[in-house]
Amino acid sequence: MSDMTPQPTPPRPRRLLLPLFLALPAVVFLIVFFVAPLFDNGMRSILTQDGWTVSRYVSLLTDRFYLGIIGQTVLLSAGVTLISVVIGYPVAYFLVRKAGRFAGLIIFLLIAPLLTSIIMRTFGWQVLFARRGLVNTLLVDELGILSAPLRLTNSPEIAIAALVHVLVPFMVLSIATVLQGIDTRLEESAKILGANRLRTFWEVTLPLSLDGIGTGAILVFMIANGSFVTLVLLGGGLQTLPLMIYQQFNTTRDFGMASAMSMILLVIAVACLFAQLRLVRRKGA
Amino acid sequence: MKRDWINLSLGAFVVLFFIFMLAPILIVVLVSFTSAGYVSFPIPGWSLKWFARIFEYQPFVDALIVSIEIAIGATILSCLIGVPAALYLARSRSRWASGVMTFLLSPLSMPMIVIGFASLFFLSWLGIGISFAALLITHTVVCLPYIVRTVAGVYSGLRPAYEEAAAILGANPLKTFWHVTLPLIRPGIMAGSLFSFLTSFDNLPISYFFGSSSTNTLPVVMLSYLENQFDPTIAALSTLQLLIAVVALLIVDRVYGIDKMTVAG
Repeated sequence: MSDMTPQPTPPRPRRLLLPLFLALPAVVFLIVFFVAPLFDNGMRSILTQDGWTVSRYVSLLTDRFYLGIIGQTVLLSAGVTLISVVIGYPVAYFLVRKAGRFAGLIIFLLIAPLLTSIIMRTFGWQVLFARRGLVNTLLVDELGILSAPLRLTNSPEIAIAALVHVLVPFMVLSIATVLQGIDTRLEESAKILGANRLRTFWEVTLPLSLDGIGTGAILVFMIANGSFVTLVLLGGGLQTLPLMIYQQFNTTRDFGMASAMSMILLVIAVACLFAQLRLVRRKGA
Repeated sequence: MKRDWINLSLGAFVVLFFIFMLAPILIVVLVSFTSAGYVSFPIPGWSLKWFARIFEYQPFVDALIVSIEIAIGATILSCLIGVPAALYLARSRSRWASGVMTFLLSPLSMPMIVIGFASLFFLSWLGIGISFAALLITHTVVCLPYIVRTVAGVYSGLRPAYEEAAAILGANPLKTFWHVTLPLIRPGIMAGSLFSFLTSFDNLPISYFFGSSSTNTLPVVMLSYLENQFDPTIAALSTLQLLIAVVALLIVDRVYGIDKMTVAG
């Protein structure tokens, strides 16, 4: 911290306030190749051969079929987020408070899967639950619980499990970061004042870690919302916006409609981004 | 006694959690070494034939090369435009800086399938449609944030004193950058580049839209292979990819420290 004390020689070389043009190439690049395509996409969603229309949005937001898809997208992401909180929290708590010398190993085990390909993990679920996969082999041949293999792949449960598998590490790490910063003396005080472990957790630790849950939840929700590889391969009949865009592009080839769906997905993503910024700013204050 | 019981069940839960986390990955590694002609359990014997099969199937080899070229190209491009921006943003006192930072990181928050879909049409309109260049540009959009974030993170933690010293001793800005700043931010560039490489290497939702016989990346070919076939070749390919990822992670840990890159927010 000694470098924080004022220096006797104030004149800093002015060069150190690096000039703005250093950021220019990156900003211009993103304006041209990120913002412009999205803007163009927005235009495509309202243009027709002879003018413009909002009819695509009207049908997306009123038609039962499309409303169902939007509902399923949001519900699936919310469900995955909720499950990730419930199973991620104890792991984060263990990591910060109990792991001791295993903390490094746990962090490695959490991060390593993040770097494996999405195809590998999806394939892993297929292998586990295929007709002749590990689970069926165990249930039928080894344990003899069932007489015929179950049809397990392509069920919504497996798809949800696979999404949680991809996203729960983000949740654990977000919660762990905040737990790390909680002063344990607050918990000790609660205990000294007579609260039992459960009450201490419920009234002290959990409220103090809400920011971590929030950060993790937004992140998980955001990624779940746009995920489609898992659903293409393990879908289980789930219909979500990313899947519909994929299908519109491949088979129906109604690009105007696919653009409108993209914009809906984008609006949800931007809402998440703003929520994230608010949370970060509040933490910083 | 009650405390022990709580701790014990917490520990058991964590063990179960990691079984859940590792099972789908380890099972694929296991299957990649099977001698059977299909995916089955228990594994009848060990063999490396599925790894050999990768290199016999030309689309995999072509796609692997495209994937590596794109991942390296997008990472270099991201460094070229991202490092200067990160340096500026890390030290800037302008009130615009945090807004610009948010903007440069924002591609991470947008659904990749939307970026891919929108870019295909936009780049086609620009006349570069489905091409290596289009793929490279669009991958750079999602790789750039990783470079900016890690380099800005490292640089803002550095004291300006080193650069000031160099400047006072008469080094010009370029010299100062080359001999002082660059060595100091190298861990950030390394870590950001590895993330960027792996992000591009594993990307499917963008690459999918730019697929053609000469621009198919590995994940795109794997997806179409998986949609028609279910054999251990995919397992062998995945194991190979995992190996690359783990090596990359170990390198990052060596030069940068795992604890500094945990939260993805």
